[in-house]
Amino acid sequence: MNTWYRSIPLILAGLLLLGIFASGCTGTPEQKPVPTTAATPVSTTAVPGQTTMPGSPAPTTPTAVTTAATPSQIAGKLKVTGSTTVLPIAQAEADAYMDKNLRADIQVAGGGSSVGVQAIGEGTADIGMSSREISDAEKAKYPGLNPIDVATDAVVVIVHPQNPVSALTLDQVRGLYNGTYQGWDSVGGTLTYPVTIGRDSTSGTRVYFSEAVMKNEKYRSDMREMNSNGAVKQTVAQTPGAVGYVGLGFIDSTVKPIAIYSNGKPVTPSIATILSHQYPISRPLYMITKGQPSGLAQDYLDFILSRDGQKIVADQGFVPLA
Amino acid sequence: MNGPLEPAPLPALESPGGPATCPPPSGPAQPGGLPFPRAYGKEQAIHGLLFLASTVAIVSVLFILAYIFSQALPIFPVAGVWEFLTGAEWNPTGVPPLYGTLALVVGTILVTLGAMVIAIPLSLGCAIFTAEIASSRVEGILKPAIELLAGIPSVVYGFFGLVILTEALRVTFDLASGLTWLAGSILLAIMTLPTITSVSEDALRAVPRELREGSLALGATKWQTVSRVVVPSALSGITAAVILGIGRAVGETMAVLMVCGNAAIIPSPIWNVFSPIRTLTATLGIETGEVAAGSDHYAALFGVALLLLVITLLVNMAAAWIIGRIQGGQVPAAPRQEGGAAPPWRRAAGAVGGIATAARRPAAVLLGCLAILAVDLALGHGAALAVLGAVTAYYLLKPRISPGITERFAFFLMAVATGIVLIVLGVILWDIIVHGLPAISWEFLTGYPRNLGRGGGIYPAIVGTLYLVAGAMLLALPVGICAAIYLVEYNREGRLVRLVRTGVDLLNGTPSIVFGLFGFAFLVIALDLGVSLIAGQVTLALMVLPTIIRTTEEALKSVPQGLREGSLALGATKWQTVSRVVVPPAMPGVLTGAILAVGRAAGETAPIMFTAVVFSQRFLPSSLLDPVMALPYHLYILATNVPGATTNQYGTALVLLTLVVGIYSIAIILRSHFRRTVRW
Repeated sequence: MNTWYRSIPLILAGLLLLGIFASGCTGTPEQKPVPTTAATPVSTTAVPGQTTMPGSPAPTTPTAVTTAATPSQIAGKLKVTGSTTVLPIAQAEADAYMDKNLRADIQVAGGGSSVGVQAIGEGTADIGMSSREISDAEKAKYPGLNPIDVATDAVVVIVHPQNPVSALTLDQVRGLYNGTYQGWDSVGGTLTYPVTIGRDSTSGTRVYFSEAVMKNEKYRSDMREMNSNGAVKQTVAQTPGAVGYVGLGFIDSTVKPIAIYSNGKPVTPSIATILSHQYPISRPLYMITKGQPSGLAQDYLDFILSRDGQKIVADQGFVPLA
Repeated sequence: MNGPLEPAPLPALESPGGPATCPPPSGPAQPGGLPFPRAYGKEQAIHGLLFLASTVAIVSVLFILAYIFSQALPIFPVAGVWEFLTGAEWNPTGVPPLYGTLALVVGTILVTLGAMVIAIPLSLGCAIFTAEIASSRVEGILKPAIELLAGIPSVVYGFFGLVILTEALRVTFDLASGLTWLAGSILLAIMTLPTITSVSEDALRAVPRELREGSLALGATKWQTVSRVVVPSALSGITAAVILGIGRAVGETMAVLMVCGNAAIIPSPIWNVFSPIRTLTATLGIETGEVAAGSDHYAALFGVALLLLVITLLVNMAAAWIIGRIQGGQVPAAPRQEGGAAPPWRRAAGAVGGIATAARRPAAVLLGCLAILAVDLALGHGAALAVLGAVTAYYLLKPRISPGITERFAFFLMAVATGIVLIVLGVILWDIIVHGLPAISWEFLTGYPRNLGRGGGIYPAIVGTLYLVAGAMLLALPVGICAAIYLVEYNREGRLVRLVRTGVDLLNGTPSIVFGLFGFAFLVIALDLGVSLIAGQVTLALMVLPTIIRTTEEALKSVPQGLREGSLALGATKWQTVSRVVVPPAMPGVLTGAILAVGRAAGETAPIMFTAVVFSQRFLPSSLLDPVMALPYHLYILATNVPGATTNQYGTALVLLTLVVGIYSIAIILRSHFRRTVRW
């Protein structure tokens, strides 16, 4: 009886495993996480000239930044839901807040800005999170929503680390994204095809990018669309000709942030340059309450807007309010 | 002559005959039981219960379909039906917004087609190898291994695809970017492999032994038996498997949107597999979370979901037509409903030999075309021509090649297919284990998350996932199995049953994110359950219900009609027949369905994202109305929105995988138990 073929799959699989063992786990081009930046993901090496906080407590908007940093001991549950972009801020703030107010239970969930608006509008959450402004349709459906600006998100243009281009004007970025340039050589790079990576059409980042950078011009039709900052970064990191845009917190050694020309000189994205309004592209992030917040929600929001709270915003790779 | 008539009926009567003649548990020592009012009442009660279960299942199916329809309706006056269907440009945030879905529909069809071209030959080869060729020991490794592929969450597939697959394609074919149609098709093929393989393997296994013995006794080789008797007999089940697979491919969201590039363009030329492409589901997956509820764009997305349903419907109708054509000249392996007279074509087709002729041609041609297309996609036109030439040469030389050589060659191909599947599994597992193992520690398993999941543990997520899956199964398994029993055993194969089956198949192809939206709008907001454990459990239950109903139906149908008739003839009641004669041999198939469902429920992100989960928790949920953490969602957020959490991300994937494997192994042990005890 010829039964030799029965063992073929096992032999093949065995050979493969052997091969992997022999080559010593080189199967993945996955980059190593940068260990020193694990806690504070804004790599100081990648964003030079950046200090963790602008030297002094900025004397702007006294209504926004309060000094009440110690939470009161209000007990209860608070549900915060919405944009996944704002989620890291909300969660980190909640952790810090609950460390101080042991009687509070703040539960943070993501799902998207529209889920946040809908949840706060319908009353299934106490605070909604949104990375875009409340639309007119939403305002009509849920009157009385109160968006509170809690942080700023920079939009950083990134390229593959081996790309020689390190600074662009906004017009050049637009030219890459609308198809004017068919090669990196047009903007001072090598003769490679620009693979444009964008965000999905409903993301707050994309909406902002369309207005501020694209001036509502059309994107080139072969633009790749990804649905998260993480996926954009991963794609750019492994594609030599790629250009993408992500939040400041996602910059690490695997991608190269592009300085943007502003008033004739290139400005590297960093918390300092964004706070001083030198870096031209950044947008606000919102938490939404129904009417004026009260009780635990008010206390939590006050904490976020306090100096301690804004320090946490910076730690998570976002830009504090002031 | 070891005639098929002599030995076969004896065991058939022996094993079920024992239990069937036992007295019913209600009436002591009364053989039979029909004339007694108590037993009769019990029969009625059970009948009612099954009817109730199937009503619940059917109503929820119809309800979800109606919900999608009602939400989609507002877009048509705005965009215009014709414009919506044929507009080439999808730019809902542009000025003015454009809602043309043609490119998305084409994208969905192309990606699914590509996936099937790759998956069907591999799955069938693998299923045939496992069911017919492999020794029982090899089979004991293969079957769980393939089911393991089904247990890998789609988020993990997505990242595997993004990090490894697209990179491999980019380097291999020297592309500007690996985010292509081909990447999507390959990934979807891997994801549909376990579904198609498991279900078609069960179908092959359910072919009565007499058919095999008869064929072998007539002097056919093993391969001739497999290819001309067993496979054609199992064709209904195999088609169901392919439909389930297409359903999964059409409805898959999270993985495909990571690797396709999502540019809403029609490839040019149309067979350019290196073009980025955008599917209907990817559109739903990437736009739904952020779009304002009640806007035109929101309605347009439900219109997209509706289109998905229409595509699924067309696929099912095409499949039904194909099955009809195939069965036209064939003896059905398991004649279906008792009572009704067999249709004339069934009576007309009599002999075992009749099976081969009609079924072989179309199936072989179809498979051949698919295989050549696959070669064309993977290796280029030259290789495809070479294969085409080889096939032609084979057919010309066929009369001169001995059946033995054909058999060896065929079995070799089956083995290679199985080997490829195992290699894919190995690579993915290797990736997860190598990257995930460093994260595993006692603290990781029993601690609570710190620093947004970069530190600390995932204990609440493990507990939460177990709660979600257990709850979903407690709801879906009884309802789904009872509904399937009612539909198959208590109902004639009429228009109503076909309608229900169509509805079930439609729902099977519905992307999971639509279930998530339905759960959010209906359970969370309308029923005011809030983001809660119970809302997630119900949503997941609704999502896996179609899989359970469909696989249970197939398993029940594969039980030979003779068993039922024998049992009824011995005086057993309907329920006694169903519960002791029909269900036990169908149990392995039912469990396969349950296993696939558990894997899907444990690994899905989209349905629970809006309904049940929070990102981080300090306390375990204390009631069904509390939200929970869940592993797939935790993984999704870590991977997409928390920079610097790669290690814990893989750790979470590893734990999720281990959990699913744990659940699987229980089911697999149960199944092999049933398989040992029940044979006919």
